[in-house]
Amino acid sequence: MKRLTACLAAVVLVACGGDSAPPNAARILRDGAAAMAQLRTVSATLKLTKGTITLQGFTLVGARTSVRLPADSDTVYTVKEQDVTIGLEVVIAGGHVFLHVPFSTFQELTGRQASTFPDMARLFDPSTGLPAVIPAGTAPKYVSTDQLDGKAAYQVSTTYTPEQVHSLLAELSSSGPVAARVWVGVSDHLIRKAVLDGPFGDLGHEAAVQVDITNFNGAVSITSPSP
Amino acid sequence: MSTRALPLALAGAGLFVAALDAYVVVTLLPAMIGDVGLTIERLEQATPIVSGFLAGYVVAMPLLGAFSDVRGRVPVYAACVAVFAVGSAITATAGLWPFAGLPWLVAGRFVQGLGGGGLVPLALALAADLYAGRARTLALGAVAGLQEAGSVLGPLYGATVAAAAAGLGGWRFVFWLNLGLALACGAGLVLASGTSTAPPRAALASIDWTGAVLLAAGLGLLVLALYPDDPERRATNALFVPAGIASLVALGAYGWRQLRHLEPLIPHALLRTRAFAGAMLANVVIGAALIVALVDVPLLGRLVFNLSQLDSGLLLTQFLIGVPVGAVVGGVIASRVANPVVAALGIAISAAAFLQMSGWRADELSLHVGPLRQADLALAGCGLGFGLVIAPLTAAVLALTRGQTHGLAASLVVLARTLGMLVGLSALTAFGLHRFHQILGTPVLTDPDLRSRVKHLEQLVAAAFLQEYREIFMIAAGLCALAAAVIVIAFSGRETMAAPGTRRAS
Repeated sequence: MKRLTACLAAVVLVACGGDSAPPNAARILRDGAAAMAQLRTVSATLKLTKGTITLQGFTLVGARTSVRLPADSDTVYTVKEQDVTIGLEVVIAGGHVFLHVPFSTFQELTGRQASTFPDMARLFDPSTGLPAVIPAGTAPKYVSTDQLDGKAAYQVSTTYTPEQVHSLLAELSSSGPVAARVWVGVSDHLIRKAVLDGPFGDLGHEAAVQVDITNFNGAVSITSPSP
Repeated sequence: MSTRALPLALAGAGLFVAALDAYVVVTLLPAMIGDVGLTIERLEQATPIVSGFLAGYVVAMPLLGAFSDVRGRVPVYAACVAVFAVGSAITATAGLWPFAGLPWLVAGRFVQGLGGGGLVPLALALAADLYAGRARTLALGAVAGLQEAGSVLGPLYGATVAAAAAGLGGWRFVFWLNLGLALACGAGLVLASGTSTAPPRAALASIDWTGAVLLAAGLGLLVLALYPDDPERRATNALFVPAGIASLVALGAYGWRQLRHLEPLIPHALLRTRAFAGAMLANVVIGAALIVALVDVPLLGRLVFNLSQLDSGLLLTQFLIGVPVGAVVGGVIASRVANPVVAALGIAISAAAFLQMSGWRADELSLHVGPLRQADLALAGCGLGFGLVIAPLTAAVLALTRGQTHGLAASLVVLARTLGMLVGLSALTAFGLHRFHQILGTPVLTDPDLRSRVKHLEQLVAAAFLQEYREIFMIAAGLCALAAAVIVIAFSGRETMAAPGTRRAS
């Protein structure tokens, strides 16, 4: 009888403990990538939280972008010169690149000028952006389940190579592996937040960026501005 | 230090710290707005960072003197210092969290102003409690002088502290520092006051909450009416007319209430005199002109002369030297010439200086008269003029009132000038930014790379700002001339226009 009771108790414990097994981190990243590959529109904000990244001679503070895949985007880069903060808006629409410097008109950029600004749509490109790179992280590990804007999301830590980071955005050159924490929605598997920390700052110094992703398949308005 | 001098010195020190903070942000604005997520093209949104403090200051100033009659000077003073410290902490944390953006910063500045504004009547009332006779007038003058000195030193103080504390949070350190200073002044006053200050009087008066709400609503609506929400297209916003009318109604109701229904803060007999009303009006106009020097000169240094945060503050040095020199010279002249004459002469000198400044060029800082920079001479002259006018005009108002109302009279002078600063700042910012956009237009930049474009744009923006500030300096010159005329008219034919030695004995 005692043996039976012990067996029943063990069964109950195993049954209860079944839910406490950590979610599979690699699976979470794969699901996240698959969900992101289905997006048509998305918005994101990028904030530099450590180190310095220079964009065309200006210190990058952050960026706010709306993307309509496959290739259109409207991005406002916030940069600093001394302690004055400036907003530079870059619209990429229909293969044309337009730049808005404060107080002035939009101007179309061509050739080398056009290629000097990051193409934020590439960040969400299924073949080279987050959907392609996210599942390729080494040693993914489930960290916790957090609430982001009222929605449950798995937090997974992993590491990416400099080449993988460069694939996300050509302007990010890292001199070493980049540690990442990625938050993936529990129910919809969408990647809601990512924090990258590694030697991708100016002169290979340590830097960290936080990317918050919102407005999945929401309405975005990106039109070619008339110069 | 005597048992009376120490509490007054501590109260004055707290008032000085609070007055410093009125314009401490001027040189720090570019860094502050960047840290709350605003970019330079939305500069108009930075206006409430300055006007929010002034609005709180003006709202609190007329209320707390009477309240401290009931509750006691020291407890109310300590409460005001605590409110100022809380406002400083809110301001210092702006931009640190996603929810702590511009509204958080403006709220912090408003709370700072509420606490700081309350210190003005309290310090003046404390001086009146502690001293009598001629010593009382000297004590009131010293307290009023500390308030003025704090106001004009603010921009330079802010730039210097922020530069020295670059590794400790820069501009945030200026506000964190207030916590220690406020604690020292507030706790020091509580400990030092002991039984040396007058105990609370019988409950003859209480705080006028209805009046406070009316005044706050009137000023808030006024600032709203003058807020330039879209300076590219219009000088004011769509609510200019309704908010302006509502503001006038609220302020009118406040004035009517004070005059008719409540125990008046302003004695009727005093208000009826042409000289008193003229002096108040002149102070409002002088406040509007003074704000141009305190706010626009450092901004001109940043935006046109491309000076660093510290150097733009230092640009005001000559102005700041001119003010106390003018005050001393004014005191000497006033012993031979009547106060209103000295005041009119002083504000005329400031008018002439602003007139010269209205012709400034982009290379103004390279122009010299002998070994001295032309700009420094103009700023020194401008400060000298304000120094000459502020003390004699206050003294002229005090001369109109009896000894026991000197605290109230001095408080009203500061109130009138601060009100002028608030209105002047709001109106001139609306005008200035609209003119800036009109002058700049929408430039077409075709330079080969981003760096060149931004450099080109900086030149165009600097030229537009220069023209805008020239026009604002011209307006300031006109305001100074108007103030001089008001002083002359208000005091003409009175014995107060005569030299002190020829006055009738009263």
